[in-house]
Amino acid sequence: MSGQTSPILRIAQIVFGVAVVFFLLAPIVAILPLAFNSSVFLNYPIESFSSRWFGELQSNDMWRRSIVNSLIIGSGATIVATVLGTLAALGLRSSQLPFASAIRTTFLMPMVVPAVVLGVGMQMLYGRLGLANSYLGVVVAHAVLCIPFVLVSVSGSLNAMDPWLERAASSLGASPTRVFRRITMPIIMPGILTGAVFAFATSLDEVVLTLFVAGPNQRTLARQMFASIRENISPAVAAAAFLMIVGTLCIAGLVGFLRWRSQKALKPA
Amino acid sequence: MRVPLVPPPASAVGRVNACCEGPLSAFINLERISKSFGTFKVVDDLDLEIAKGEFLSLLGPSGSGKTTILMMLAGFVEPSSGAITLEGKRIDHLPAHRRNMGVVFQNYALFPHMTVAENVAFPLVMRGVSKTEAAERVARAIDMVQLTHIKDRKPAQLSGGQQQRVALTRALVFEPNVVLMDEPLGALDKQLREHMQLELRELHRRLGLTIVFVTHDQGEALTMSNRIAVFNAGQIEQLASPEAIYDHPETRFVAEFIGETNMFAGKVEARDGARTKIRLDAGPMVEAYLTTEFASGAAALVSVRPERVGLSETSNAANAMPVKVLDTVYQGDHMRVRLAGSGVEMVAKVDRKTRAWAVGAEAFATFNPDECTVIAP
Amino acid sequence: MMSSAMRARLRALGLIMPLMAFLLVFFVWPLATMMVASVTDGTVRGVLPQTATVLAKWDGEGPPTPEMAASLVTDLRMPVDSLAFGDAVRRLNSELSGFRSLMSRTASAAKGAGEGQALDLVAIDPRWGDAKYWLAMKRAMPLYTDRYLLAAVDLERDASGNVAGLDANTSANRQIMLRTFLIAASVTLLCAAIGLPYALIAAASKGWVRAILLIAVLLPLWTSLLVRTAAWFILLQNEGLINDALKTIGLISEPLPLIFNRTGVIIAMTHVLLPFMVLPIYSGLLTIPANLMPAAASLGASRIKAFRHVLLPLAFPGLMSGSLLVFMVALGYYITPALVGGANDQMISSVIAFFATGTANWGMAGALGLILLVVTTVLYLVYGRLSRSPTMVAT
Ligand SMILES: Nc1ncnc2c1ncn2[C@@H]1O[C@H](COP(=O)(O)OP(=O)(O)OP(=O)(O)O)[C@@H](O)[C@H]1O
Ligand SMILES: [Mg+2]
Repeated sequence: MSGQTSPILRIAQIVFGVAVVFFLLAPIVAILPLAFNSSVFLNYPIESFSSRWFGELQSNDMWRRSIVNSLIIGSGATIVATVLGTLAALGLRSSQLPFASAIRTTFLMPMVVPAVVLGVGMQMLYGRLGLANSYLGVVVAHAVLCIPFVLVSVSGSLNAMDPWLERAASSLGASPTRVFRRITMPIIMPGILTGAVFAFATSLDEVVLTLFVAGPNQRTLARQMFASIRENISPAVAAAAFLMIVGTLCIAGLVGFLRWRSQKALKPA
Repeated sequence: MRVPLVPPPASAVGRVNACCEGPLSAFINLERISKSFGTFKVVDDLDLEIAKGEFLSLLGPSGSGKTTILMMLAGFVEPSSGAITLEGKRIDHLPAHRRNMGVVFQNYALFPHMTVAENVAFPLVMRGVSKTEAAERVARAIDMVQLTHIKDRKPAQLSGGQQQRVALTRALVFEPNVVLMDEPLGALDKQLREHMQLELRELHRRLGLTIVFVTHDQGEALTMSNRIAVFNAGQIEQLASPEAIYDHPETRFVAEFIGETNMFAGKVEARDGARTKIRLDAGPMVEAYLTTEFASGAAALVSVRPERVGLSETSNAANAMPVKVLDTVYQGDHMRVRLAGSGVEMVAKVDRKTRAWAVGAEAFATFNPDECTVIAP
Repeated sequence: MMSSAMRARLRALGLIMPLMAFLLVFFVWPLATMMVASVTDGTVRGVLPQTATVLAKWDGEGPPTPEMAASLVTDLRMPVDSLAFGDAVRRLNSELSGFRSLMSRTASAAKGAGEGQALDLVAIDPRWGDAKYWLAMKRAMPLYTDRYLLAAVDLERDASGNVAGLDANTSANRQIMLRTFLIAASVTLLCAAIGLPYALIAAASKGWVRAILLIAVLLPLWTSLLVRTAAWFILLQNEGLINDALKTIGLISEPLPLIFNRTGVIIAMTHVLLPFMVLPIYSGLLTIPANLMPAAASLGASRIKAFRHVLLPLAFPGLMSGSLLVFMVALGYYITPALVGGANDQMISSVIAFFATGTANWGMAGALGLILLVVTTVLYLVYGRLSRSPTMVAT
């Protein structure tokens, strides 16, 4: 489309592209400086720079607990989702499994079922099972949402793996368990880790299920931000957002690195 | 890259080329093996004996079931029926990791997360060989294929030929019963391929390996094997030495699949031991060599390789047909001559030194009865 | 002896079993619970169990029987959770108004009189002599009911059991659904209108330009949804950056109302969902060999024709699956509308959440949830057909 494109079309393309990039990135960029605003209003202009709102995150009991809760619940959900999702991805790979694609579609359903619908059902069920307002309940609820991401990521790296490697290993004398431990597992490790990172990020950002199943003791960072935006919008939200964006960039960097490394290792000469 | 091979390890001395001395002893035996995928029969009631120390090639067109047979031997595919025995013991229900067979895959299947040395050590580690012994054997094996300088590299950093050699070493280092290779040279360029053919043949000779080698390159099969099994649609068309396969194909498929041939249809007229007279449908009478039983009057095909056809000005040969030169093509080491006459057309490859044949020249096409074969149509 | 195929199958089943069990318990069971809640109604039954049994046998013809009165008195004398009792009364009142005073008067009379003492209900309140109160009670008794499902689409059963439209100011569910559909459709259209040209430009560019265009799409996708919503909050509010900027350049004197209304919801949701539109279109366009456009042009097709006959057909599958995805996600969206939407302009998810957490009306929450679930599932299945890789959502 380049080359002999007319100049007017070319300019229109550039203007449009710049406008959309601006639309996509401006809000994220705009919130960052407010984290360092000393004012009590979440608003421009910035009066003076200070780190008081980061201090607030630390000293305010609500914020501090919510950060700790997010880490606890995120880790729990990540572990559950990664273990279950990885096992299932391995099973779904077998050509001997009947209805494999239907099962896969079902396993991915939590990604598309509206969170509110699932939340309502969970709230009702948890009341009966005695899981309401418990860490276990929140961890499990988050894990349900995280599983599709692990499944997709691990399945991706299994698909990318040369299927002959496992045959080669068993022809060389490795039992199925050892084939898994010494060949399959190390090769799909980047996929598992990517899935785990996705899972953690998903849990960190989860609000809706938390609203339905968590009690005040399990309030997560995202839930706390939700409440703060809704009730008494304070610049602590911007500080929390800043932390999350920085965390996201680190995670994105990590995933990028893992992908790059696995591609480098698996690429044939 | 031309690598002279070092002397064989002590353990291999004394079992050099077992197959070529004395009668063949059945080492691996496939009995009445069939394999179907769904309703599709890929291997059909196959019998095959593999002798210890032999280099057996499985040759056939794409989809004829070669890989499937190799995978059944290696234990990755289960036969639908039939038995596989190794030294008299059934192995068809043994899982792959307990069969002690070395397999070289077409794409090498080197473990990407391990170095060359770790790849080669893998089968030894799996067998619980002690660390020091494993290290020593790995070093010796890697040295033998001249890869010592790259033993700490990952497979992605190797050239195709180096990867090939690592895969081969990995499949040999644990002294397997038999080495199975599925088109191991298919991915290499022509020059490297020819070099690796020599190396493989040398390894086979020195170590006394039993090798089952799948290829669809007939030249490769002819130069490397002790025996060739020609496959077609899941069945063996002919199993014989390269010379026998080439000079005396037993079926029309083999005659046409291997090399180039002139084929004439006719009827058996008179017999004299292995020699027989055949009246071609086009008219002329031909004397030929028989490998299978034919009744008098039975329809038959006569196959003659182009390089066995001579051109002569006189007709004093057992088989001599008057022909006319249609076309000549210069081929470097020989002339390729297209001939027609006596109601047949044929191709001859003739020595350039004998004489230059002009297009339109009259001559006799001659061939020796021992150098043509009669095949059932 | 087991065949190796059989062993492989068992192993595969063993591997997926843990997840299967986990999702059955924590995904399917909750959804089933919600569905069951949408068709069950135990509010009155739970409080008046004996009356329920007796009324079930009553044919509804003729005057109320003494047996019915006796069972009601027995039920009312039972100790009962006052919240549950309140729910039951409210439920009866919705069947026929007047039950509130009737029930409280009768209950205190029943409790006041001595144990085992017979009571003349008609003497306590003459309305008990009227069969229509007993009929209303009978209608409220069955365990399984379609009233929530009907109510979810603004219908109800009248006294004679026929389906009829609900009073216009009692419920507004149809209006909410229409609104949800409109908002989701507008967001989808906007995403398509921005996403298609954007993806085309990205696919046609090279090097760092393409990298920037892609990062601009991926970065928001990676950023926490709450962060993005908070960011829009900052931009859109009356003293926010946009209004400030417009005021500074003198375009407006009063702040534009951009937040707590539909404008804000649509802007923020478009921002959130745009990547889901761009990525499928872009990956579809990547399959075009770079020389196809010049090739089409050299075959004599004008640029516009080449665009229409070469580029658009290739972008179309991505556009379709992107649109379905955006629409599907937008339908069930909760957080963004809840934070930047207007109080009277909520989407269906907010209404469901309101019924569940605000009023503990599980039946209505379940019924609306069921409708949303069915629509989403159908869209997902269509999407899976269309894109043949339902995994696109995650990448
Ligand atoms: N797992 C399978 N399921 C169904 N059909 C199969 C399977 N494996 C092989 N086949 C079929 O069996 C036939 C023989 O396959 P095989 O791989 O043995 O052929 P081949 O002789 O090795 O061919 P090539 O020279 O192309 O490698 C083919 O038609 C193939 O499609
Ligand atoms: Mg093959």
